[in-house]
Amino acid sequence: MRKMIVVAVREYQAAVRTKAFVISMIAMPILMCGVLIAQTILEDKRDISDRHVAIVDHTGELFDAIVEASNERNEQDIKDQGIYETKNGKRKQVMPRFVIERIAPTADDPERVKLNLSNRVRDGELFAFVIIEPDVITPKDGDSRQSIDYHSNSPTSDDFQRWVGFPINNRIKELRFAKAGLDQEVVKKATKWMSIANLGLVSVDKEGNITKATETNELANIFIPMGMMMLMFMIINIGATPLVHSVLEEKMQRIAEVLLGSIPPFQLMMGKLIGMVGVSLTLAVIYLFGAYFAIRHAGFEEYFPSHLVIWFVTFLALAVLMFGSVFVAIGAAVSDMKESQSALMPVMIVVAMPLFCWIFVVREPTAPLSVILSLIPPATPMLMTIRQAVPPGVPLWQPVVGIVLVLLTTIVCVFAAGRIFRVGILMQGKGANFAQMLRWVIRG
Amino acid sequence: MNIVEIENATKTFGEHIAVNNLSLSVPEGAIYGFIGPNGSGKTTTLRMIMRIYRPDAGTGRIRVLGEESLTAANDEIGYLPEERGLYKKMKVWDLLRFYAELKGRRDFNAAVKHWLDRLDLADWANRKIETLSKGMAQKVQFISSVIADPRLVILDEPFTGLDPVNTDVLREEVLALRQRGATVIFSTHDMAVAEKMCDFIFMIFKGNKVLDGTLASIQDSYGQDTIRVKVENGGFDPRGIEGVEKVTDFGHLQELRMAPDTDSQQTLAALMARGRVAHFELAKPSLHDIFVRIAGPEADTAATASQAQEASHA
Repeated sequence: MRKMIVVAVREYQAAVRTKAFVISMIAMPILMCGVLIAQTILEDKRDISDRHVAIVDHTGELFDAIVEASNERNEQDIKDQGIYETKNGKRKQVMPRFVIERIAPTADDPERVKLNLSNRVRDGELFAFVIIEPDVITPKDGDSRQSIDYHSNSPTSDDFQRWVGFPINNRIKELRFAKAGLDQEVVKKATKWMSIANLGLVSVDKEGNITKATETNELANIFIPMGMMMLMFMIINIGATPLVHSVLEEKMQRIAEVLLGSIPPFQLMMGKLIGMVGVSLTLAVIYLFGAYFAIRHAGFEEYFPSHLVIWFVTFLALAVLMFGSVFVAIGAAVSDMKESQSALMPVMIVVAMPLFCWIFVVREPTAPLSVILSLIPPATPMLMTIRQAVPPGVPLWQPVVGIVLVLLTTIVCVFAAGRIFRVGILMQGKGANFAQMLRWVIRG
Repeated sequence: MNIVEIENATKTFGEHIAVNNLSLSVPEGAIYGFIGPNGSGKTTTLRMIMRIYRPDAGTGRIRVLGEESLTAANDEIGYLPEERGLYKKMKVWDLLRFYAELKGRRDFNAAVKHWLDRLDLADWANRKIETLSKGMAQKVQFISSVIADPRLVILDEPFTGLDPVNTDVLREEVLALRQRGATVIFSTHDMAVAEKMCDFIFMIFKGNKVLDGTLASIQDSYGQDTIRVKVENGGFDPRGIEGVEKVTDFGHLQELRMAPDTDSQQTLAALMARGRVAHFELAKPSLHDIFVRIAGPEADTAATASQAQEASHA
């Protein structure tokens, strides 16, 4: 036991003290959250030069309303659908202004008019143009679809296209109500939209008072489970490399023979695995504290899943033991780094399996398929954590059964890995293939 | 008492017989030298003594330190593998401390300090292994194998690639181990070292034991069939003299292997007829010569010849 701890301590220090470890500790979250970080940084770097848009209004009734709405937008803050943002007391333009140009309808060939405007867009004079046909105000009978044509050379940059629908439709509605002889105010009141608030459940506090339900935050409900899953995936990943490295080094440098003269192979392997669990828990503590302070700083402290930390750590430790034993076996069976990389690939796909189906599990946490998926041992640590993090959570028996199944799988993995390790670690020359490893496991 | 006893052990890897029906006894307190060409089974034998390998099922028994344990882990055995065996990224002190702790030594700090001072490595305690020269790394490796004061020390090629100064240092340490009562088994390619240091010599060739005993007893079995001679004559060629079977030319000295029952006086007379004899010595064959007789090209030729003879008889 004492010797196992000696090995674990060395393993831990060897992993934590390397530059590679520190680099991957910093790089992994960047890699995982790169999209979010880049989005935040790039947000400020938008092109806010004016967007010149030409409008040919054959109805003669809509253009003024669009210009009026555009002028209003060009003055307002972003929270009122405008273009300015106030940060630290400074008001700053963050979206482009829309500058609308009137093109008077003529008797010319309409296609010729469109071609001229298209050429102006190509020359960079205009950003886009809109053609409003004369019949848009009167709705057509039946289901036939009516639309207003928006032409641009940048279809992915759709700010104007999305925005202009509102002033046009508002004005068209007004015109149609007026034509039908309805009072605008009455109609507005009669058709007022009711929004549906997304709330949690009501409960009773310690004094017996009924507490009000709070509004749920859909983003938090998706990002927190996702974050926990990614964190677990990341930690398993970071720990894997030093573990395989150290086994390979011991094998190639003939250190294994010296070690086996002092400690039985199974204890040696367990020492290494305990070392890796230590590394993983260190990472978990660092990341969880980091996440907690980041969330608190952003004012979302209530969303930090502190009640799940114990479960998370337990599942993480088991996952590290389960996958770690497979990594150790691979390290012992292969003969160099190159071989280890290709041998690790299939294992990494199994580790990453939950990443393929997590969206389904978050949306349908109580569906029978989600329950089954979260009870398949290699997926349990990540998927069960996700299901626990999404309201309403899971009945207690599920994580308990999950832990028991993972524990059994871990025991099988560790046992099999022990047999592969014992033979593989002393083998020199060519690495073993899968069939050979299986033979070692069965024969013992 | 014998500290290692091997009886009829065979070890095969797939089709290849690495060690064939080997029996060997190593008395306590002895220095036992293992010699043999590369790939002849030395390391496999050492690993069987370490109990990293077990003999094939149904063959042989191995008793080390009086017991037939199945596990390799034993704090009373120290092991130095050939050349490697050190974590490159670890510092000297941390590494030795780790090995000492792993061998169950409680006063590891004192032990590490003692050995670093003793082998003049104290200034290197905080350097990483990868920065050490080969000689220093070998000394560190030696310390790691003896730091727990083992009763049995197994050294695989401890002197390979060392300069004369470091060879002397390690040789003295090995002798000091025996002084302390430890038993040392080491393998070597250096016949001079084996001749000078070992109480017993064991030679394995193609998996079979071919020599085992004290140097004197081994030499006796070959008889006094060697003449070392120096003749002051540039173009001197002893071939053609009656009874000379083989000539090994060392430049200033020549070694003649004589056929059995050759009269040395007649040989001397023949030599004197060819030049001025400055040195004439009747000797037993050196270990080097015995090694080459068993494992050299002439052994191959002899083996092929005897096979051909057997074939023609068949």
